[in-house]
Amino acid sequence: MTARILRPTILLVLGAIWLAPIYLLLVNASKAPAQYAADQVWKPISDFALFDNMREAWEIGGLGEAVTSTLLYSVIGPALAVLFGAAIGFAIVALRLRHGFFWFVLVFGGTVFPLQMILMPLFVGYVEAGIYDSRLGMIAIYTAVTVPFAALVMRNFLGGIAHQVFEAAVVDGASTWRIFWRIYLPMSTSALVAVFILQATFVWNDLLLGLALSQSNDVRPLMTAAAALQDTYGGLQLTAVLAGGLLVSLPTVVLFLSTQRIFSRGLNLGQF
Amino acid sequence: MSAPATAAPTTPSRGSAPPEPRRRRRNTYGWPARGFSVPAVLVVAVLLYLPFLWTTWISFTEYNGLGSPSWVGLDNYRAMFDDPNFATSLRNTLIWVVGSITVPVGLGLLIAVLSHGMRFGGWFRLPFLIPYAISGVAVGVVWRFVLQNGGGLSQALDALGLPGADLRWLSDAPLNTLVMIGASSWQQSGVNALLFVIGLQSIPREPIEAARLDGASGWRMFRHMHWPMLRPLTTVVVGLSLVASLKTFDIVWIMTKGGPGRNAETLAVTMYEETFVNSAYGAGSAVAVFLSVVTFLAAITYLRRQLSPERAV
Repeated sequence: MTARILRPTILLVLGAIWLAPIYLLLVNASKAPAQYAADQVWKPISDFALFDNMREAWEIGGLGEAVTSTLLYSVIGPALAVLFGAAIGFAIVALRLRHGFFWFVLVFGGTVFPLQMILMPLFVGYVEAGIYDSRLGMIAIYTAVTVPFAALVMRNFLGGIAHQVFEAAVVDGASTWRIFWRIYLPMSTSALVAVFILQATFVWNDLLLGLALSQSNDVRPLMTAAAALQDTYGGLQLTAVLAGGLLVSLPTVVLFLSTQRIFSRGLNLGQF
Repeated sequence: MSAPATAAPTTPSRGSAPPEPRRRRRNTYGWPARGFSVPAVLVVAVLLYLPFLWTTWISFTEYNGLGSPSWVGLDNYRAMFDDPNFATSLRNTLIWVVGSITVPVGLGLLIAVLSHGMRFGGWFRLPFLIPYAISGVAVGVVWRFVLQNGGGLSQALDALGLPGADLRWLSDAPLNTLVMIGASSWQQSGVNALLFVIGLQSIPREPIEAARLDGASGWRMFRHMHWPMLRPLTTVVVGLSLVASLKTFDIVWIMTKGGPGRNAETLAVTMYEETFVNSAYGAGSAVAVFLSVVTFLAAITYLRRQLSPERAV
């Protein structure tokens, strides 16, 4: 039947179109600046200068400093968020916080409005409080924006742990802190890790908060620095800009590929 | 008082567990419960809700970041609706919404349906997933490179003898908005395809087999069997695209900074421009409030329409 041939053909043609920009990125990010010709971007490379270009973007574009900051932000921010989310989940589910549902909706409601809505006051407030353009300030806001989602997932996940677990621990004389730290948190490692990965990716890729709340090279997050590469054409070759774009994406690509297994396991579960 | 005493014998299956004195336990853990909730509530209240309220207030004032804001009532909103830049921005945002709920969703569905049930279907889908793993900023960098005047796309069109090689992709409106939607679709279609594949895999086999025995295939099979069963998932995918498209910022900022003469701005870019470039905080806040209200109303309206029982057929 024609569908036999038509289906893979359409997919292959579409797939080729999809890979074309990737090809352009890889090829031109690998060209030595002298070899690069603006009117021949499709031409394959003759010598391989990807790493030189990356080094140039890294040094001149200040990506090195930005990587350190961003690593800090995308580890500490989501880690705190997951912890805070788990704590309020624990309070609602296990300790039966009074008006727990109200508090939960309040925290989760933090994701409802667009980030644009809070940029200006944050900027002004940060300047007033003296934490504008500081790593502390960036960590604080990244924690805040990732808490609501963490609270949602952790509350649902902890809700699946039988309350008898809590009662048994109380009978054994454990304090609430100990129960949280030693029983509930270890039991929810998988959810903690999943939320952490998702939110760390979000922080890693953030541009807007970085633009609004930071300025100096050692505070500015990676995407903001990478976006600024575009404007420094004077000092940077286009090949280095492309290499920089490739470089800042590598961690998320690696994360994506290495979590494919978790993802496909979820896929299988979906069939039951 | 007597409730727990009478409840105990009715729950023998619980074994030795005593009846749960709910009210007393709440009192027992009242303080620890509050303590555990404080961090989350505090950061969200201080860093998200407080700024939110502040923006709303500032939108009714004139304020440039220095001195103190002075109340001007609805002036910012009036000025906003009279501003031709705002009209452009609103139009572009609408184009983004329409483009984002049709192109990446439609392409995602097409890719999913074509590759579903095919040998090596996963491999056929891989090219579409790679752009999703790349960050939004890198997508902007790549596409700006492809679309610049005389860049990758123009050269390809020229080599293939197709028209359009001399178009100024990123300068002329509304062409620049349309090609940026293309770039965004390039990134988004793959993940939509993945979601639709999950949806297709979870469709029970029996009704599909029955329809096949009745002679359905191809388009008719899709139209009358797969499509209705994918509806709940389509609702979610379209809803997410709708909300995300209203907030479009990254790709526009990286590729055009809002375009020459601000002709490619979306509401989110206008808000950023007014606040952080022009230091017109009141005007920027008015745009932010407008954007929030529109996002909220769009989400509510869409969900109510999609989830109302009359349409759930």
